[in-house]
Amino acid sequence: MAVNQAYLLPCGRDVEDVWEHLDSGDEHDRTCPYCQSTRQSLSVLRGLTKELAEEDIAPSLDLTGRIMAAVRAEIRRHELLGPPGGVRVSTQAVAAVLRFAADGVPGVRARRCRVIEAPGDDQAIEVTLTIAVEFGLFALTALDEVRDRVATAAQAQVGVRLARLDLSVDDLYETGEDA
Amino acid sequence: MPALDTDLDTATLVARARDGDVRAYEEVVRRYQAPMYRLALRMLSRAADAEDVVQDVFLTAWRRLSQLHDDGAFVGWLYRTTTNRCLNVIRARKPLSDVDLDTTESPSPAGRPDRAAETGAQMTALVAALDELTPEQRACWLLREVHGRSYEEIALTIGATATAVRGRIARARAQLAEVMSPWR
Repeated sequence: MAVNQAYLLPCGRDVEDVWEHLDSGDEHDRTCPYCQSTRQSLSVLRGLTKELAEEDIAPSLDLTGRIMAAVRAEIRRHELLGPPGGVRVSTQAVAAVLRFAADGVPGVRARRCRVIEAPGDDQAIEVTLTIAVEFGLFALTALDEVRDRVATAAQAQVGVRLARLDLSVDDLYETGEDA
Repeated sequence: MPALDTDLDTATLVARARDGDVRAYEEVVRRYQAPMYRLALRMLSRAADAEDVVQDVFLTAWRRLSQLHDDGAFVGWLYRTTTNRCLNVIRARKPLSDVDLDTTESPSPAGRPDRAAETGAQMTALVAALDELTPEQRACWLLREVHGRSYEEIALTIGATATAVRGRIARARAQLAEVMSPWR
């Protein structure tokens, strides 16, 4: 089916043509009665569409709560670090501490953070961290600062040695984006 | 000073949620439940059905986060999943003739609290006209004209070519404009 001939007016023009030239009609558009009335209908539609796009209809106030209750009920069992029988800590809790440390560096936002126990050493961890950096603000020295802060946080706040940190920058962000 | 969750960009929140950060995911839900709800409401016309779809979409999203490899593609995924859930709900509905009319909701605007706010007669007419489109046409038109999604993404959503999507939107627009003629 030819897209451009979906709705032909008696004058031979297509409704879609009128729509595309709604703000810049030619002589025919201004004088043809079919085109004129179509233009007016389309203008009303355009105004209402804008209203529809901006309308302030929200779901029930408790919808977030219902969604999150279902989500929390599904949270998978966390992997634990530390010697069996001793004090063990969830890798997700450690990841949260390390992300927070990396976030402290200006122009850096921690994204994925995977924490595993270092092979053969239950007092050390290996970490894979991806970060997004702010466009225009980020400096290469910031990567060293992220390494320092993450290592310090692991030692001081969790009590484990950072045996390895794979750090990668996987995105740029601009201030105010999405916020 | 680390940014609050509410200040972070969506891709960062999604990446954290993928690591099991529930608070980051809650912020994602707060940010996108309203647009998904508005899309579902216009697709389904019933507030309760729309909320069920949104709840289902965000729970499914949480379960599938680990399979999502591009954090920046998450919002497109939400639109796609919401649209498809709505189309499934419509397909599962009984044809009107099979339904006992005494037990169904009144189709009049007065019987629907979610439409009571639409006092404008034009808007009421537009919303009624949307219901007259085929579900796929309605989805294409809403995604493009109200939610600003790309033709390519819409094509992927409903399993058609971008050209076919343009055609559906053109026909939807012509049909809707006809209903607008009493006000021109």
